Amino acid sequence: MLELQKEIRSCDVLVVGGGIAGLMAAIAAAEGGAKVIVAEKAHSLRSGDGVGGNDHFICYIPQVHGSLEDFMKEFKASQSGKFSDDCIQRVFAQRSFEIVQDWLKWGIDMKPHGDWTFLGHAFPGRMRIHLKYDGKNQKAVLTREAQKRGVVIENKTPITEFLTDDSGKIVGALGVDVSKETPSLKLFRAKSVVTATGSVNRLYPGIVPGAMFNVPGCPANTGLGMTAAYRAGASIVNIEMAGASAGPKYFARAGKGTWIGVLRTSDGKSVGPFVTQPTKELGDITSDVWPTVFTEKARDGSGPVYMDCSGISQEDYEYMLWAFTCEGDTSLVEAMEQQGIDLRRHMVEFGGYGATQLDRGVQIDEHGATDVPGLFAAGDEVGNFGGHVAGAATMGRIAGESAARYAKAAEENNYPVEQHPVVAERLTFYSSLMERENGSNWKELNLTVQQLMEEYAGINHVRSGTMLSAGYKYLGDLRERALNEVACANSHELMRALESFELLEAGRLICLAALERKETRANHKRSDYPFTNPLLNDMFVMVKQVDGKPTVSWRHSR
Amino acid sequence: MPPVINPKKCVACGKCALICCMDVFGPTEPKTVPLVRYPEECWHCRACVMDCPTGAIEMRYPLTHTLLFRDAPGTLKKEGM
Ligand SMILES: Cc1cc2nc3c(=O)[nH]c(=O)nc-3n(C[C@H](O)[C@H](O)[C@H](O)COP(=O)(O)OP(=O)(O)OC[C@H]3O[C@@H](n4cnc5c(N)ncnc54)[C@H](O)[C@@H]3O)c2cc1C
Ligand code: SF4
Ligand code: SF4
Repeated sequence: MLELQKEIRSCDVLVVGGGIAGLMAAIAAAEGGAKVIVAEKAHSLRSGDGVGGNDHFICYIPQVHGSLEDFMKEFKASQSGKFSDDCIQRVFAQRSFEIVQDWLKWGIDMKPHGDWTFLGHAFPGRMRIHLKYDGKNQKAVLTREAQKRGVVIENKTPITEFLTDDSGKIVGALGVDVSKETPSLKLFRAKSVVTATGSVNRLYPGIVPGAMFNVPGCPANTGLGMTAAYRAGASIVNIEMAGASAGPKYFARAGKGTWIGVLRTSDGKSVGPFVTQPTKELGDITSDVWPTVFTEKARDGSGPVYMDCSGISQEDYEYMLWAFTCEGDTSLVEAMEQQGIDLRRHMVEFGGYGATQLDRGVQIDEHGATDVPGLFAAGDEVGNFGGHVAGAATMGRIAGESAARYAKAAEENNYPVEQHPVVAERLTFYSSLMERENGSNWKELNLTVQQLMEEYAGINHVRSGTMLSAGYKYLGDLRERALNEVACANSHELMRALESFELLEAGRLICLAALERKETRANHKRSDYPFTNPLLNDMFVMVKQVDGKPTVSWRHSR
Repeated sequence: MPPVINPKKCVACGKCALICCMDVFGPTEPKTVPLVRYPEECWHCRACVMDCPTGAIEMRYPLTHTLLFRDAPGTLKKEGM
């Protein structure tokens, strides 16, 4: 049997995930007077999507943008503005500048050009809402600011379950200590939990199928927030509306807005109408608007599609290389150098990376609260709001404030978490994975989940009622086999195996939601309902566990 | 193996293994050069290279991460470029 550590870590607010949203939530909760612990799978100094930096921060500055309504119009038209509740978007917009000013004060360079400068991700002649910044040191700065306020960070601690009492309110969480070769279990007692574990990666095959970790977003983010919140009773929303990401082939990496170039086919024809002479003020926004352009052009025979930066000025070229370093894309720059690629002469092929679940998942209200008492969520794992790094930072702060307020008002938490039935059950399950001999490696499970998702619920094939229900069944069958066959040799493998099980659960929920949406909309293409149903405009599908069973329902966007 | 550690430069401080977002090195032994145990799980974030105090780490980009490129048609070429 694996060891269940004796020490129970107690706090008012447990933050799950030390990424952008999690660290901002921790800082806010500590400022609100709460005792805060962050449980982070890797290490908060360098983890998640913001590991090496980001460079565009959506921000509303009244003096720059004028009325909130004008800003909102542009925000809703942007790639992160879809499938969100208006009430949350407004709260975000109104508090985004406050975060920018704090980040600047704390030492993140929000003004690399000396003044507030909005560049990139914009349409010609329209308002720009992406503040250009240099986020290289953001994780180190946020970690330091959290620690200054007394936040305790438990690194190498992936959380695997949120614990609730009989009334359904949060009482703690269970995690695995992966800092040593042999794993042990860690228990947390908390009045409230803020979940901030990022998006769901490794759910669909990568751009090079054998290379599972060649994905645009951090492959350590595998959907724990969404699946654990679902098990705790939270509603999950918009998960059938997969996004499509794109970027350089075959080096999958987010950050396409940093490229200053034109997307063209090999004969030099540009594929979009937006720019002919790109500059740092205005790159080609075609792939934000039409992210499937690459697969579509390849399919109709007019591909491949390239990012051509050769026409830009030397000044803009140097600017772009610098911007890649702010964005955390230094590896891309180094890989190009090693391959002898000079963007002044060469154009790099871009391709679609397949489905993404970014900004699809846990449902929150404008205070960051889920419908489970004591459970709050923020960042890329939220399903009814998206704002990428800015959204994660701003809503992270709001969720942290709310969690601290909730904890202050809550009664003393004396729940004996060590006796929670989920803990005993999980301890037995994880131990069985560690004790099994000659079992299946976690990769077999992860790869099979990916294949099923691609073929039965992906966006490169059409979806249909029969395929989705088959996919749901097959994932269930796979789970039964895997429960009895996966074997792990050490803490690292246990972490990966549990991630693979998480992915499987996320996939099942996606199948259910996709079955419910009987229409074709954006990347959700149903061959049995090949039209967009206007009655479903602004309607969201929610999945929630009731009496141990998934139930699906609809609501209007708010 | 994506990160390659030069044992002559490494001072065995353990930082790379501590901060790696993918646990590519796994748990380390104190005062030994970390092993790159799970190279195929590297996300190539380059954090280990940036944070190594002695510049002991270099990245080798695998063939599965090959960038595809060709000469630009030059329709937009400006003077002097
Ligand atoms: C290369 C790149 C460039 C980008 N550039 C931009 C940009 O310029 N502008 C922009 O707006 N956005 C950008 N993004 C997106 C932006 O980084 C994300 O939107 C943002 O980081 C989301 O914050 P988050 O806190 O939700 O997730 P993350 O910052 O990814 O944090 C999630 C954290 O949770 C941890 N975790 C995961 N599972 C568990 C678990 N079970 N238990 C405990 N911890 C767990 C992870 O290790 C990680 O630390 C970029 C992304 C990438 C990859
Ligand atoms: S590049 Fe990033 S993922 Fe790869 S070993 Fe270094 S820190 Fe880990
Ligand atoms: S960070 Fe550099 S010096 Fe420290 S253990 Fe790693 S390779 Fe060695």
